[in-house]
Amino acid sequence: MKPKWQVWANEAKAEFPKANSALLPLLHRIQTEEGYLSENTINDVAELLQLPVPYVESVVSFYSLYFQKPVGKRVIHVCVGLSCALNGSDQLMHHLEGKLGIQEGQTTQDGEVTLLEAECLAACDLAPVAQVNLRFVAPVESADALLAKEVNS
Amino acid sequence: MIRLTIDDREITVPEGTMIVDAAAQLGIDVPIYCYHQALGPLGACRICLVQVEKMPKLVTGCTTAVQEGMVVHTRGAAVDKGRKGVLEFLLINHPLDCPVCDKGGECFLQDYTFQYGAPAGRYDEPKIHKLKDAPINDFIIIDQERCVLCQRCVRFMGEYVGEEQLLLEGRGVDTVVATVSHQPMDSQFSGNVIDLCPVGALLSIPYRYKARPWNLEREESVCPHCPVGCTTSVTSREGHVIRVEGRPVAGRNWGWLCDRGRFGYDFGYVEKRLLNALVEGREMSAAESTRTVGRWLDAALTDRGPESVAFLVGGQQTMEEAYQVARFSQEVLPGSRTAMVRTVEGYLPSGLNGSFQDIERADVVVYIGGDPYDAVPVVHLKVRERQRANPGLKVMGVGAYELTRDFHGAKNFTVKPQHQAAFLAYALAQAGTKSQAVEHLASQLGTYVPSLLNPVTPEEIQALGRTLLESEHLVLLWDGKEPEMESVLLALRAAREDATEVLPTFGPSNWRGWERAGIPAHFASLQTIIDDAAQGKISVLFVVGADLLRDYPDREQARRALERVDHVVQVGLFLPEEVQLYHAVVPGAGWSEVYGTYTNMEGRMQVAMATVQPPGQARPLRTYLNSWAHALKKSFVLESEWDPFDDDSGDFVPRESLPELRPVTVPEPSPGTPPGSLRVVGFSLVMEGGMPSEILAPRVPRFPGRISPQDAARLGFSEQGGELQLEGTMGKISVMVAPDRRIPDGILALPYGIHGSPLNQLGEGASVKAVRLEEVSLG
Ligand code: SF4
Ligand code: SF4
Ligand code: FES
Ligand code: FES
Repeated sequence: MKPKWQVWANEAKAEFPKANSALLPLLHRIQTEEGYLSENTINDVAELLQLPVPYVESVVSFYSLYFQKPVGKRVIHVCVGLSCALNGSDQLMHHLEGKLGIQEGQTTQDGEVTLLEAECLAACDLAPVAQVNLRFVAPVESADALLAKEVNS
Repeated sequence: MIRLTIDDREITVPEGTMIVDAAAQLGIDVPIYCYHQALGPLGACRICLVQVEKMPKLVTGCTTAVQEGMVVHTRGAAVDKGRKGVLEFLLINHPLDCPVCDKGGECFLQDYTFQYGAPAGRYDEPKIHKLKDAPINDFIIIDQERCVLCQRCVRFMGEYVGEEQLLLEGRGVDTVVATVSHQPMDSQFSGNVIDLCPVGALLSIPYRYKARPWNLEREESVCPHCPVGCTTSVTSREGHVIRVEGRPVAGRNWGWLCDRGRFGYDFGYVEKRLLNALVEGREMSAAESTRTVGRWLDAALTDRGPESVAFLVGGQQTMEEAYQVARFSQEVLPGSRTAMVRTVEGYLPSGLNGSFQDIERADVVVYIGGDPYDAVPVVHLKVRERQRANPGLKVMGVGAYELTRDFHGAKNFTVKPQHQAAFLAYALAQAGTKSQAVEHLASQLGTYVPSLLNPVTPEEIQALGRTLLESEHLVLLWDGKEPEMESVLLALRAAREDATEVLPTFGPSNWRGWERAGIPAHFASLQTIIDDAAQGKISVLFVVGADLLRDYPDREQARRALERVDHVVQVGLFLPEEVQLYHAVVPGAGWSEVYGTYTNMEGRMQVAMATVQPPGQARPLRTYLNSWAHALKKSFVLESEWDPFDDDSGDFVPRESLPELRPVTVPEPSPGTPPGSLRVVGFSLVMEGGMPSEILAPRVPRFPGRISPQDAARLGFSEQGGELQLEGTMGKISVMVAPDRRIPDGILALPYGIHGSPLNQLGEGASVKAVRLEEVSLG
């Protein structure tokens, strides 16, 4: 546990009436710095907010924006929701997998890129939709264009 | 009270009742998965849809409380369509592998699908695959594909037991039940999730692929392993017990079991089971052994008279068997003596004996001497349930170490071994009552002032005394270690206006039943027989069920007794320790092999049915008694089976009037334990509890002893513990110990009656010199 987490936990707690509510912001803050949330981090956060470990573990595993494994410098989310699926997100994902030489859910050997799927990102009018480090890229013209602009630039 | 109509029938139920429970009272079955009365409503599965008039949509019957004048329909086109839809969703990713599922034939997913579901699914897309046989500990496997995510298992462990070891992981269709940090579950209540799971997702490993429900015999039984006497149902197939399940009794218990009771059933047929008689080192048939034993008895009668014969009853014998021993002693050998084998010396008069219902009403629960979690596990759940219903419940511990686990607002008074009776008497005296009984106690205390092992102020001791005297519903759980406690409890009862209910947590499980059957329960009866035997006054000693050297509090004296008796005859399921001291060991029949009655710590009598045949030459006790009588040319015919149930007291053994107060001896102010020494204190640990079990082997703690983390560090042990060598009057003995933060410095806690625990070689309260022997690494 890092000493400043204690400070962050207190700040988060001060904002909300219940410790449960402080959980999401605290997890985000720690993840931004650590890159992901390890088992130890989960135990530490549970202790900081006096919440049961399984509760924190369930929350972390519930949201796709919390990572339980280290991720690359750039995280590409490809939306696989209905509108995007109708507009070719399947092929987009296949192409990205081919170009990057990894499967969905994996990170490239050099630790640069992680490829993940996402449920509807609430931008259906721009389908197919992707996000790179949570920034929207839409509509995606092709895998090559996406990689050229957002990753290899 | 609320009046409503369900399926055209009227019913009146208390406010707050859920529709499903009101319907159940009318015998109307509303399907449920996630709901369980003990856990409360959740509304996660939607199978319990019902129609309520004037409500626009179907509602879930498990989360909707009844209202005055409500009109409910539990069937009908709309309801059936709703349930059909719910089932279609539940089955979308279900593997439909009922033909290879242990639950098939007793599964609520099957049953409700037959009743309400569609004949075929409409979903053609590939199914999502998850883990199919992932062990969550040594006894339980999870098939995540079959799980309907009702969360009963997760909520039971977290909210009910308070040991959060299961969780929901992931989201949406990917959600699965998993263990915390993917570590095996180690709660001693883990097996209950098998009973709770409405589908075939959580399954018992020892029962896996053993049978189909229609191959089975199921009999109602009672767990014999500890004084709780949990109600069980025993499943057998082709002469083997292959499963034990909890059996809920409406209005009385939920059917929870601990893992000892659920998985420890294989003691009946483990390899160590005694199958033939062993007489003076020679294996022989049971029939032949009875003739030899008959000759010994005959000789003893002629040479030394019936006074030289004694019977000791122990282990897991039924009340009927104890009664047979008592009758045999009175009728065939009048003048002979009987006693029961006890591990602790205290006695609880039946007039003080409370029941589990008292826990349901309690405002204050006091643990004296031991932690119920170790000794009588399911009682721990009952106290937890009470604290859920009444968050103000005070739980207090008076023992040589911390007893109260994680109860909210618990308070511990850590008192040296053998000072607990005096301490409680002192606390009562400090409370300033006018009661004669307490004043009488106080007058015996003289200048005694307790010194506690944890920081406690005089005001807190006074407050304890007042709580004991004044709380309305007081329940005490007593471990029976200090005989003087009996008088303190009697004085407390005399001084209180409200009832004082005591529940004995000590074994043997059925001691109160044997007492009812006519076997003296006081330790003194046993002690006199053992002491007489050690002086050569006993010619034939029968030991039924017990393992004397393991169980008797003074092992050396027990050995002297066995050495001096002309003929020691053991009837049991296993060879006793140091079998060379016995002249005959004959194989007996045990639990699940004979029908019989067990009396639990409430004094409640419950029947356990026989379901399998005894193996090998093992025979019911009465067969031996009959043939021994025969050998003496006497007749011993138990014409009518004894009926232990008494009309006036129903299921309970009758409560006798209270005995006179006996003097309380004030403990010598024991000299502080010299540096480098530890003081010994015993405790019951049902998880190991005597009976061998191959299924439970992975649970047997490798370190039965417990010491404080500071002592462990001082002795040079790592966190996991190691081997300790003890030196005292008994010579040198080694024991495996582990640090435990509840143990105060200078205390060594050791379990009773367990192989590897030298408690009865050292003696309760003994001070022993301790040195570290070696570090042992857990592989
Ligand atoms: S494993 Fe069984 S009890 Fe647990 S959530 Fe799934 S279906 Fe319910
Ligand atoms: S608590 Fe006691 S009686 Fe109940 S299952 Fe466990 S060992 Fe058996
Ligand atoms: S389906 Fe992709 S953004 Fe809505
Ligand atoms: S039983 Fe009612 S919602 Fe699950």
